[in-house]
Amino acid sequence: MLFNTPIFLLFFLVFLLFYGFVFLRQTPRLYFILVASLVFYGAWNYKFIPLLVGSSVVDYYLALAIAGAVTPQARKLLLTASVIMNLGILALFKYADFAIQSVAELMSGFGYTPDTVTLSWVLPVGISFYTFQSMSYTIDVYRGDMHARKGLVQFTTALAFFPQLVAGPILRARQILPQFHNIPIPTWANAKHGFLLIVVGWMKKTVADLLAIPAAAVFDSGASVSLLETWTGVLAFAGQIYGDFSGYSDMAIGLALLLGFKIPLNFRLPYFATSPVDFWRRWHISLSSWLRDYLYIPLGGNRNNHRLRNIFITMLLGGLWHGAAWTYVIWGAFHGFIITATHYLGGLKIFAGFSNSSSRWAKLTQWAITLYLVLLAWVFFRASSLDSALAILSDMHDLSGHVNSGPMALSIFFMTASAFLLMHLLDLFVIRRADRFEARPWLFWPLLVIGVTLCLLIGEPSNEFIYFQF
Amino acid sequence: MNSSTSSSDWVFVKIFLAIVLGMGAAMGIVRVFVWLNDASAETIIGRVMEAKAALPEIVATEVPVVMVYGSSLVQAAFSPREFDQQLAELGTEVKSFNFGFGGLNPYFQDFLSRRIHEEFDAGGKRLKLAIIEFNPFQATQSRWQGALSSVDSFITMLANDQEIREISLQDPERGALLFNIKYLRNDISAEMITSFYGRPFRSPRARSQLQEDQQAEKVRDELGQLLNQQFEKDYPDYGGEEWGWGWQGGGTIPSERSAETLEIVNRFYAAGQTDYRMDNDRLFRIDCCDILEMNFEPLLVEAFIRIVHNFQQFSDQVEVILLPRNTDWIEYTPEARQRLEYTISAIEAATGVSVRNYQSIDAVNNKMFADTTHLNRYQGAVGFTGFLVDQYADDLRQH
Repeated sequence: MLFNTPIFLLFFLVFLLFYGFVFLRQTPRLYFILVASLVFYGAWNYKFIPLLVGSSVVDYYLALAIAGAVTPQARKLLLTASVIMNLGILALFKYADFAIQSVAELMSGFGYTPDTVTLSWVLPVGISFYTFQSMSYTIDVYRGDMHARKGLVQFTTALAFFPQLVAGPILRARQILPQFHNIPIPTWANAKHGFLLIVVGWMKKTVADLLAIPAAAVFDSGASVSLLETWTGVLAFAGQIYGDFSGYSDMAIGLALLLGFKIPLNFRLPYFATSPVDFWRRWHISLSSWLRDYLYIPLGGNRNNHRLRNIFITMLLGGLWHGAAWTYVIWGAFHGFIITATHYLGGLKIFAGFSNSSSRWAKLTQWAITLYLVLLAWVFFRASSLDSALAILSDMHDLSGHVNSGPMALSIFFMTASAFLLMHLLDLFVIRRADRFEARPWLFWPLLVIGVTLCLLIGEPSNEFIYFQF
Repeated sequence: MNSSTSSSDWVFVKIFLAIVLGMGAAMGIVRVFVWLNDASAETIIGRVMEAKAALPEIVATEVPVVMVYGSSLVQAAFSPREFDQQLAELGTEVKSFNFGFGGLNPYFQDFLSRRIHEEFDAGGKRLKLAIIEFNPFQATQSRWQGALSSVDSFITMLANDQEIREISLQDPERGALLFNIKYLRNDISAEMITSFYGRPFRSPRARSQLQEDQQAEKVRDELGQLLNQQFEKDYPDYGGEEWGWGWQGGGTIPSERSAETLEIVNRFYAAGQTDYRMDNDRLFRIDCCDILEMNFEPLLVEAFIRIVHNFQQFSDQVEVILLPRNTDWIEYTPEARQRLEYTISAIEAATGVSVRNYQSIDAVNNKMFADTTHLNRYQGAVGFTGFLVDQYADDLRQH
């Protein structure tokens, strides 16, 4: 049930009717959100509802047990149980086949050809998001960052809350759980901002679907393409994944706001970043901050002599979080490498002046270099294989001009670049001008209707959200 | 109810109204846009809709009915009036109809065949003979990919509510989308709109390296205009007779035309046989339909099998045929031949009908084609229709 489909509109209207006008007290509303969220999740595959509910129930009781444990050993044991359960679920459903096949390939490299049996299990949608969310709760309780709160239904509902269930943002229990213990009443101002986010998110998703076409022409066709067409395809994919994922996040945040719930922003103009470190402060903020708090810092963070190693491991595993394939691992490793390189170079006197400079030209150069590196990384993320990624990277730097561009190549490049820019301008507008815009109803509502109309007029046959597969 | 609950109610009323009115306004603008662009089932697949509309009258025909069903190749290759006249001369009275439609691959033809089935059932009539064309290049993966942006719209144009409900039961998300397209968007999906306006930005297909014969094109244009004038002369009282295309009657036939018209027709066909036109058309078919390699799309082959099953339920005799192929321009690769043989075997096994391959027959030669795939009307269609009479006259007489 995608947010930009008629059936979701129907679902949400029915939900709103009951939520707003029938279930007026806290407890019925809480139960109703839970039931609706499970229906929403079950629309994909009802067989995985027990997995979602089961893991939340286990983590809820483990968190209570951690809070009540008297010895550090017992607390550690209980936390270990939670981490093993959550990572075990991920390992089974997401990584088992990848591990088996990788081992088999490794063995065949040594001349053995083992009979491999893969699980071929369906990946439960949103599993990477809700297991991380659930696990963060037990870790926070273990660390003493938050108290274990009584209320199994509240905890399960917070985890299953339909706007953010299948593709995040990955919320911390301390951000969302209190809101389910005291269910908020939406204000009209919040609702208007919610509408704005939903329409902007929908527009970004629509643009992303269009960008999928030039991206597929480079990544999927296998045909020879020119230098310009290759860059167009890579830029298109960068725009596609941004519009797709940030669009979904915006819609999730907007839908939650319509119900009064507040979810923090997940993207903040990532392609305006002026360094790889800055990029990860702006891209999928809920994941990067999760990795920082629950992986990088436990590894030692900045405190020991292995800072660069810790960053690299964090990014490597961050890549693996996205998918069970070597291309994702390399994508993560590449980001790990460029972040560590940025830190290393920033520490050298010769580069310190440049990296700390606030001059416009220095910032522009930093932005261009960052965008270039991020685009290179996306090639690994999108390519179907390592060979394909290397071929595209080679095409991106092949200045020989032995492949001519098609007659529409330049137009398509400019349209791709414009679409890329448009999405950022929309975001910039929401961040900087939303208040003033929302205060002018004569402008606000007509423009929102025009935005929705554009989304209803533009469509591509395949409009799945990319991040659902993670 | 306390005051905060009341204010909560009011906010929810506003949110609910904002969604309903906002979506309603946006959908209204979409409808206006569709209306301004004159986009509807009637303008997009007009001849198919005419055929659907003519079905009650076709079913009411008193004499035995023959239907030739398939793609635009059938539309070009079969002349119902020639067929009926030649059979009448042999003492067999039938009424035949040309149900060949361009733009409909087997997936869409399947829905149309169900509508035909319904009408025949409702009228308590059976088809005497159904000749169903299997067009190999309409069943390829390329053809399916090219049709994806039209799938939802065409389903809403050709399926009935019961079928959309069945889709909804299997996939509620898709069902809701289809009902939305059918009842709120006048059958026009966002994908169809995008595909239409995005056409200029698609990667251009390969064009012929041969030089266009400007003189031949000029001659062809002039002859085309002359033929329009000749129609006015030959049919001064034409008023949409039942042999017209609206009725799927197949249009004019050579025996009714003047000698002067036929001479112009011959010159017109000859002017169209330039290497440039034919090669360009061949490249178009390679691009859109994978016509030389023919990597079949299983979904389309399965749909074709369903079409045969549909016709078997209300027809006394069902034949599956392959239409003549222009071997000067369309030569299958050895792998394509194997794939075609395999697919034909699969169709035969699933339907119990032997597929008759008329791709190479004496009655039709390569000069009787209007392009690389379609027969011309006064030579190719006449020749092929006569061939069908020879093939099926005995069957129709015995019945």
